[in-house]
Amino acid sequence: MLKDNLGLTLCILIALASIGFALFSGDPYYVQVVIWVFTNAVLAVTLRFVLLIGELNIATAAFFGIGAYTTAVASTIMDWTFFASLLAAPVIAGIISALFGWITLRTKGPYFLLISFAFTEIVRLFYTKTEALGGNSGMIGMFPPMALNDYFPAIAVTILAAILFGLYAAERSNLGRVFKAIQNNEDIPRSVGLNVIGLKILCFVIASATVGLAGGVHAYTNSVIAPADFTYFVAVLALAYVKIGGEGHIAGPIIGATILTLAGQFLHSFGPYENIFYGAIIIGALLLVPGGIVGLGARFKTGKFMGRAER
Amino acid sequence: MELQVQLLMNTLQIGSVYVLFALGLTLIFGVMKIVNFAHGTFFTAAALIVSSVMIWGVDTAGIPIWFSYLIAFVLALLVVCVIGFVVYFFGFQHVLKDLNGSFILSIGLLLLLNGTYLLLYGGVPRSIPAVVPGNVTFLGASLTIQRLLLMIVAAIITIGLYLLVHRTKLGLSLRAVAEDQEAAMLQGIPYRRVALYGFLIGATLAACAGALMATVTPVTTVIGDDFLVKAFIIIIIGGLGSVLGAILGGLLIALIESFGGYYFDPSTATLAMFVLVIVLLIVRPQGILGHAER
Amino acid sequence: MSMKKIIGITGGALIALFSAQTTFAEEILKVGVSAPMSGAAAAWGLGFEYAAEQAVEKVNSEGGIKAGGETYKLELHTYDNKYNAAEGAKTAQTMLNRENINFIVGSIGTAPVKATQALSERKGAILFNTGWGKSIKGPDYPLTFTQMNTPFEILAPFYGYVKEQHPDAKTVAMITPNDATGQELEPVAIDTWNNLDVEVISTDKYERGTTEFQSIATKIANSNADIVDFGASPPTDVGSMLKALDVLGWDGVKVVPAGTSAGTLSKMAGAAAEGTYLGASADFTGDSASDVQKELNAGAMEKLGEALNGITISSYDAVMALKKAIETADSIDPKKVAETLPTIVFESSYGPAAFGGADVYGNPQQILVPVMITQLRDGNAVEVGRIAPAELKERLK
Repeated sequence: MLKDNLGLTLCILIALASIGFALFSGDPYYVQVVIWVFTNAVLAVTLRFVLLIGELNIATAAFFGIGAYTTAVASTIMDWTFFASLLAAPVIAGIISALFGWITLRTKGPYFLLISFAFTEIVRLFYTKTEALGGNSGMIGMFPPMALNDYFPAIAVTILAAILFGLYAAERSNLGRVFKAIQNNEDIPRSVGLNVIGLKILCFVIASATVGLAGGVHAYTNSVIAPADFTYFVAVLALAYVKIGGEGHIAGPIIGATILTLAGQFLHSFGPYENIFYGAIIIGALLLVPGGIVGLGARFKTGKFMGRAER
Repeated sequence: MELQVQLLMNTLQIGSVYVLFALGLTLIFGVMKIVNFAHGTFFTAAALIVSSVMIWGVDTAGIPIWFSYLIAFVLALLVVCVIGFVVYFFGFQHVLKDLNGSFILSIGLLLLLNGTYLLLYGGVPRSIPAVVPGNVTFLGASLTIQRLLLMIVAAIITIGLYLLVHRTKLGLSLRAVAEDQEAAMLQGIPYRRVALYGFLIGATLAACAGALMATVTPVTTVIGDDFLVKAFIIIIIGGLGSVLGAILGGLLIALIESFGGYYFDPSTATLAMFVLVIVLLIVRPQGILGHAER
Repeated sequence: MSMKKIIGITGGALIALFSAQTTFAEEILKVGVSAPMSGAAAAWGLGFEYAAEQAVEKVNSEGGIKAGGETYKLELHTYDNKYNAAEGAKTAQTMLNRENINFIVGSIGTAPVKATQALSERKGAILFNTGWGKSIKGPDYPLTFTQMNTPFEILAPFYGYVKEQHPDAKTVAMITPNDATGQELEPVAIDTWNNLDVEVISTDKYERGTTEFQSIATKIANSNADIVDFGASPPTDVGSMLKALDVLGWDGVKVVPAGTSAGTLSKMAGAAAEGTYLGASADFTGDSASDVQKELNAGAMEKLGEALNGITISSYDAVMALKKAIETADSIDPKKVAETLPTIVFESSYGPAAFGGADVYGNPQQILVPVMITQLRDGNAVEVGRIAPAELKERLK
């Protein structure tokens, strides 16, 4: 474990610095990079949040997309205000995920993984076949209001950073401990009278609603969204972030997302090499550094250099 | 009537390859409890090898076409076995029964191998000359002799695998390990070796499917991806780890594709398959023939 | 792409990053390309990049571009947009905000083009693109220019020619991929056929990446349509469908408006492709091709193993148009260049060309180059019609 008090202070400082950078830097490209880093961090952290109950949730990609499409519809078709359209994203993503979780969280392991994969594909195919949502061309024209235009990057970073801290708080709460208990052995929490399915759904809804909000921010950041942006591959990349950073601590996915997003910026014209790079890094991290960067740090702290880190 | 025969014939043509591909995937899941997203890369590798060996054999070396294909087929299986062994030895061996870990490993392999294929072969589709030209008509339904042969070969391999799993000692070990690994080990079954055999058989099945498909469809470096997604649907429907389930599931998906594509449109048929999966999982999460714990 | 080149590009990007503040001794004008360089559509990106590279080399070796008393050498930056909007937006950010590129000489894919456009219009950069949507152009997007023919240019002359050759054809079955291009093309195609008194009896969509086309073929064969229109289907898929149709004994008129490569189609389907009409396949080896096209095509064959087509060669034309426009405007201000583009006649790979299309789009933003109709005869692509747009003829007078 990292020294949480010191670490937390550091994280808050980094978040504040990022918001400040977004406000004052004036360099649109690097501000954009900061937003991408935070968006990817949220994707990775929400994926890991469902891993707390032991399930690999490919539908992270689907709920990211549902959030983005909700905001796009609210903003461009229904003419809702900026904040209302953003707020609609987690609400709709939360409602759909509650239904989806209620039905599917009775399954687990490979079945849940594959259902969430199938769901992601269904949702994407649904967009392509719905003309009101722009079909394959997607939706355009999600711009923040003129008055907020200069502040939008800072608002985006603030929202995304708040999500990260919120999920950290949730994990550290009693609720978070119950989630981990479910992962270890769900019969024990059940034996003390806890509604395990209900808790699993709650965990799933929290993750989906927050990633939905990040999707809403993404819609405004890009101004254009299309079905092909929300394939299962989004979740696969998020998984890579989690794996590189380490899943033992919430800082892991954030570190992983930061490193890979920044690295990705310099690989932009890599063509076929890009996939090879990501593939090699995922395989390498999994086999050589199973605990990720955070795991390495923890081993360094406790002086246990030998043996495999816990997964 | 003729139309129905044609549509059924289409179902068998499409289904035979789906079955081969899904069998490998379900076998690997059964024995090793891993969801292998890299399975399509075995298929792609075999198809690419067949296409390049055939083009070389016929155009450059002047070897008779059927003999070129034979060489290509054997070579494809060998290369895929080697890839499979390397991947197992350096990779999957270390994450046996670790669902999330092995899934992540397979995703990494998918990216790495697909990227490598694109680098080696480029984005241009390849098409190989017909091994056996000509068409046949059967009860008013038409198909190429190649497709007919493909169906027959696929059926033979499928029956062979079924017999292997249900009639041989190796098959017994595979089933025992799939059923309960610890009990199997107590019976003296060497788990790691059985897992390796299961993995190699699975990879070889994908390679057979790829080598067969290369004769009837243009080969690209991403050809396996379409099959992978369908195969996942198939094994969920049939029940993860079930051999008979994969066969029935494969034929069912082919049936939906064939009839749905005809009466609605192919894109809608694809959507229908996914919806079917979700509905089935709600009603019967373990699949038609699966018996997994809930 | 060689490793050396990767290092070169990465190194170049780093150097550009650190030297952004310092002034250049030599005037460099950066131009960008955003195209799929990996995945299923990688072949397009690679050809597109090649044609742009050749154009840039040609411009530089002929002394660069002269404007405002300076001489500029072009520098090409290629980015992988992965054919989706999210990556399109990222490459747009990188090109426009990091590299400060003001001239995008080519972009492929409707979704990524739209994502790029959202930023390029705001930033005031010129965006050349191959997007087929009508909504991509218009007075709201004054800096966007389409560098190749789209369905609005191709379909009327193309279908008209087919109908002329087959006056008895009364019905058509349409099949097109379920992607942006397919969805944009379908309504235009239906209108155009109806204007020619041909009834569209079915419209079908399939997912990209499909390998089995048996059910579609059975449907078409059973519908007894006189014509099959493969819409935006790529040559590989058309080849598979034609083979399956041939087995079923269907023998009608085959048209592929987006058929970009007669060679690929012929290779995929063999005799089954005989007689197919293609609307976007330029035969860059035949007698009607210009010397520039022949040379570009031969180079691409050697380097990439694939012939160029109407899409991939268009980046060459965009660079040539840009050079002429900058020199005429005598400025590298994108807004002035954009105002100049519709007024000039430039030397494209097809010969003299211009920008127009105000009647259709409300703004002259569409390249005017001939629509070429080719037909597969005895396994060879034969150009059967070359229809220059009336507007271009007017301009060249």
